[in-house]
Amino acid sequence: MRDWIAHMGTARTGLRRLALALAPMLFAAAPAQAQVEVDVVGGISAPMPIAIPVMPTSAPANTAAGTTDALGRQLSEVITNDLRNSGLFRPLGPNVLRPVGYEQVTAPDFPYWTGTGAQALVQGFVRANGDGSLTVGCYLYDVFARTELTRQGFVVAPADWRRAAHKCADTVYTRLTGEGPYFDSRVIYVSETGPKNRRIKRMAVMDQDGANHRFLTNGQSIVLTPRFSPNGQSIVYMSYQNDRPSLFVYDLGSGRQRLLVPNVNLTFAPRFSPDGRWILFTMSTAGNADIYRVPAGGGAPQQLTRSPGIDTGGSYSPDGSRIVFESDRGGSQQLYVMNADGSNQQRISFGGGRYATPVWSPRGDLIAFTRIGGGAFRIGVMSPSGSGERLLTEAWGDEGPSWAPNGRVLMYFRSAQGSGRTEVWSVDLTGVNERRVPTPQDGSDPDWGPLRP
Amino acid sequence: MNRAEAVGLGAALVGHAVLFGLLSVGFLATPNPMELESTPLDVSLVDAVALQSAAPAAVEPPAQSRAEDSGPIEDAPPPAETVAEPTPTPPAPQPKPAPAPKPSPVSKPDERKPAETKEARRAEPRPAPAPAPTKKAEKPAAKSGSDNKAKAERPRGSHLSDDFLKGILESPSSGKSTTPRAQTVSATAIAGIGDAIRRQVQPCANRVPNPGPGANQITTKLRIRMKRDGTLAGRPEIRGQTGVSGENERYAQRVGELAAGAVIACAPYELPAELYAGGWEDIILNYKLPD
Repeated sequence: MRDWIAHMGTARTGLRRLALALAPMLFAAAPAQAQVEVDVVGGISAPMPIAIPVMPTSAPANTAAGTTDALGRQLSEVITNDLRNSGLFRPLGPNVLRPVGYEQVTAPDFPYWTGTGAQALVQGFVRANGDGSLTVGCYLYDVFARTELTRQGFVVAPADWRRAAHKCADTVYTRLTGEGPYFDSRVIYVSETGPKNRRIKRMAVMDQDGANHRFLTNGQSIVLTPRFSPNGQSIVYMSYQNDRPSLFVYDLGSGRQRLLVPNVNLTFAPRFSPDGRWILFTMSTAGNADIYRVPAGGGAPQQLTRSPGIDTGGSYSPDGSRIVFESDRGGSQQLYVMNADGSNQQRISFGGGRYATPVWSPRGDLIAFTRIGGGAFRIGVMSPSGSGERLLTEAWGDEGPSWAPNGRVLMYFRSAQGSGRTEVWSVDLTGVNERRVPTPQDGSDPDWGPLRP
Repeated sequence: MNRAEAVGLGAALVGHAVLFGLLSVGFLATPNPMELESTPLDVSLVDAVALQSAAPAAVEPPAQSRAEDSGPIEDAPPPAETVAEPTPTPPAPQPKPAPAPKPSPVSKPDERKPAETKEARRAEPRPAPAPAPTKKAEKPAAKSGSDNKAKAERPRGSHLSDDFLKGILESPSSGKSTTPRAQTVSATAIAGIGDAIRRQVQPCANRVPNPGPGANQITTKLRIRMKRDGTLAGRPEIRGQTGVSGENERYAQRVGELAAGAVIACAPYELPAELYAGGWEDIILNYKLPD
């Protein structure tokens, strides 16, 4: 009875009135006591202040990547940059915080951190192991509640120290936001140089933050639309062979490449299936382009669409059961969804203008696309049924979205009006935190690779 | 109409015109009363009525409370030499003599870490090396207090005053009643407590960062138990969440932690001592991010 009344107290006013009306009857049966109940609404949509002091070392030592003292600072800086770039944190980095002692890593001085205004604290240590590897400890604390939230240890080769920092940042990000990790991932894109009408386009790979940049092709033939395999080990892309667009698969480990489909027709717009077994692509014969799939190891292509006109840009849903693609069968370029075997094709985009380059989110809940209209290209998202369309960017020439492994951030490229120069950018799913991703030269058509193991 | 009449009429006309002008100017210069700035008032609407009278129900004097309600506010209490006094009177009828040997400044840091991690616990011996109420023991506590002036939540000295246990020792209570002075806290008082708690939690709630889209649909119900001195008797307990959907599910755990963190960060709370029992000793707080 008492519980019942307490429960009524939590209900809305209407119910409270009802409880009041019933109260005399209940009162006769049991003494009632109303529990004090407070409603508090508060919070900010602002980045969370988080402190990341230099990671101390137990015993200074030299490693292949420098002294552990220097590494401790560099690790904190990489973590600081990752968290800042996410747009969800306002880091107080190693440059503004006092260093912490090694023994404090597991027993933080909470009163001091409260005084800095930080709500969370990332501490860690770096240690050189006897076998030449590094151990990086990563501890996350809630400064308000004065508790440890999580801890992780990473053993890496000295050359991979940045990955340890990204892993630590991922741990923090995941624990504090509820989102999946994405900092320890790579991006492949097309690096561009030269005048507008004679661009040299090379395939390049880099860490998600722009570090460890490496060119994969020499620029003798133009490379377009590079796409990672789900395990991040190979890349499928379009290049020209005998002046004809052809698809190649590049193995990141060996550096070797092979032709995917025999070079008889024009083939383009490749993309791996989520299980890595298939590659979707478009083949054009006599002006009629249709979507096909082919085993990733090569083999006979299977045709999935058969409509007149251009069907292209296929992208699988994360469970592999459906495919989103673009088609001009209705008169203008629009988005369609079909089953993985090509059945049940349905149009999902109905806004003004044209829609291109659809990509299914790794979470499965959204499809990102380029919307073309009013003389501008913009990045947008909609649900797989076509509802809830939102545009995320406002610039003149944004196109080619690609999802971060956690489905929270998008990378795309931006063309400057007139000069044709291109840059790689990223934006949060909420449309905020638009940020340029640093590349040594112009960059276009980025594809965000999977989270590394 | 003769000349005198004409002059008189003219003078009257001119006079009226001047008068009208003057009045008009005066009227225009008068500030519009509707535009006077009104100071906003805090109004809390009480939508519940107490089920019972708020009047004291005790027919006999209640048992004497064991602790004074509040101690000195700003300064740490002097070394608790007086605490040693109780020992000479062995048959004192106090039911729980436990708090006595603990000098209050030392006991403070302990209370502030309701659930330490393993490491924190390891470090524990340092702040409280000697339970003896010597000057030595007083030092670390005072130091840690001055370390963080920035935080209002820091203890303002102990809430247990020097004359802790005084009542019990002097004269055993003649009363046996253990019921609180008022059997039920009235609805008005409840609303007042609610407002007071909300006011005190609000600054910390306002700092809670929204973890992501849709997280503001989640309402977290926290159960908070407090001690008489306004500190938390434990970590706030999450008693459920509403508004969790497939879209914001991933933020639910974090929102709950943030809510509890805000309550912890703004403790201790200053609330009327007479409304403790049945009032704010055990409350429910529903936290939500703004829309």
